[in-house]
Amino acid sequence: MSQIKIVRIHNELLGTYGDQGNADVLAFRAKFHGITASIIDVSYNDLLPTNGDIYLLGGAEDAAQILSLEALRRNGILQDAIERGAVVLAVCAGFQIIGNSFWANGQEVEGLGLLDVKSVPGSKRFVGDMKSKSTVLGLELTGFENHAGKTLLGPNAKPFAKVGVGHGNGDGKFDGAVDGNVFGTYMHGPILARNPEFADLLLTRATGRKYSQISDPLATQYASWRRKVTK
Amino acid sequence: MRLKFAIALSRFAGLLSRKILRKSGETIPGRILLILYPRALVALAKNRNIILVSGTNGKTSTTKALAKIVATLGTTVTNSTGSNLDRGAATTLMTQSEYAVLEVDELHLIRLIAETNPRAVLLLNLTRDQLHRMHEVKRVADRWHAAVAGATETVFVGDVDDPFVNYALSASPNSIRVSFGGRKHSDAAVCPSCGIYLKWSKNNYKCSCGFTNKSADVTLEPASAAARNAELANIVGKELGARVVKIDPADFERSFTKLYSGINAKIRLTKNPASWTEALTGVSGDDVILILNARQVDGIDTSWLWDVSFDKLHGKRVVVCGERALDMAYRLHVQGIESTVTENFSEAIEKFSGVTNVEVLAAYTAFHSLVTA
Repeated sequence: MSQIKIVRIHNELLGTYGDQGNADVLAFRAKFHGITASIIDVSYNDLLPTNGDIYLLGGAEDAAQILSLEALRRNGILQDAIERGAVVLAVCAGFQIIGNSFWANGQEVEGLGLLDVKSVPGSKRFVGDMKSKSTVLGLELTGFENHAGKTLLGPNAKPFAKVGVGHGNGDGKFDGAVDGNVFGTYMHGPILARNPEFADLLLTRATGRKYSQISDPLATQYASWRRKVTK
Repeated sequence: MRLKFAIALSRFAGLLSRKILRKSGETIPGRILLILYPRALVALAKNRNIILVSGTNGKTSTTKALAKIVATLGTTVTNSTGSNLDRGAATTLMTQSEYAVLEVDELHLIRLIAETNPRAVLLLNLTRDQLHRMHEVKRVADRWHAAVAGATETVFVGDVDDPFVNYALSASPNSIRVSFGGRKHSDAAVCPSCGIYLKWSKNNYKCSCGFTNKSADVTLEPASAAARNAELANIVGKELGARVVKIDPADFERSFTKLYSGINAKIRLTKNPASWTEALTGVSGDDVILILNARQVDGIDTSWLWDVSFDKLHGKRVVVCGERALDMAYRLHVQGIESTVTENFSEAIEKFSGVTNVEVLAAYTAFHSLVTA
């Protein structure tokens, strides 16, 4: 039996698009694998725990995105966590925050630089269902995107997934980015609710153990139905 | 002359749509009128008392109540079936009257304020809803703020316990800021006025920039959403010179009861995290049906389900249906609530045969199809 700490970062700021569900799904899947999981909610005024195993960031509006960045900048806890191998899943505004730079409230803002990507304003907003094939998982994923920014990858980041339906990083080719255990994506849904296999992969990465396949028929039914209908 | 002709043509189109397509006829005439005569709202609103009602939740019922109050002052027209875009307003205004009480969609409010020179506008609340269309709550609030700033002759009434409403009202020289003693808001961690982290203590907020709900013009006792909207409607009525009308908060609940082969179903309308949360607190029985759709007006993204706590349903018999039943079933599953998924509402109700009362929480489009079924 292992134990993991899931850190949900600034949900009051990064919770506009339902991404808080990612933490709930991780904890839920963890139980099936015999892992004891705890969710630690960290708000703007709190310090991040230094011993988290999985750190989660979600989507936000511009002003909230800037505030969350400010709070994360107060120390290097997230960076230290990545260096010791912790898992990070950052969605939409959260994905932009951990990149090198992004635009919010009409200005370019320097990000945390934890993922070698740069986000710029797009000419239109990308809103709708998404389907992609993850390069890491080799699996089809579904989700929902709702963002105005486009993201360009630097040499140290690989695309997270190849887009089948939707826009992803803005070119319609790739969505998100990955570097080691740090994952960025534009997919809401929440992404781990729609794609439980991805939650399992994050748990594997966080604990360093290999888990056998689990049986949760409803989760499988839901994920495969969304794959089937997202066209 | 041209306006009259355009109205006649639009009416005729509405008649055809009612007779041939069997539609309600609230949208088509206005839609055609605005194409034939783009400034129709301006022309039709002239020399009339226009009163607008907007907000995320409670628009339809509050408009209905306010129309009743205003009708004591003079002839009144209103859009009573929720057709709340610019075209619905245009259709309603095609009928002559001294007063018009209009429910207006949050994004269409900007045009309505600019073109109808309203006498009064009531702003109820602003929370997350249909984000595929609204994109961001603050974006809607910013548009409200700009529209309010341009309407210097209009009286704006609103519930300032909602920071976004307060922010919109702050742009008006003629506002009546009402507080019900403060209330939490799940989308307002940031000060809409200055952009810093908004300081909340319990149910009240006070930003270092001075933005607060603690300096209201009228302070009333905390109350349910329905009771608050009844108070607000009367405050607008009083401003227009009407007497206070006693309104039963039960009239404000978007619900109805229907008998399905011996089962008494109480059906409530639910739309977004705020209205689901409000509706769930009202569930008192042990047998519940949840219907989830994700069409345009329901919001096509269902991610928000994860922002609603369904704790209240633990230990109850829950059946889910609707086009997105699986989204709901999996959400509940992760919260430890097991439900039965059925193909449609009739199958859902069959699961309860022998039961006297069933409570139904239905997404917007599902609610309306049950109303008309």
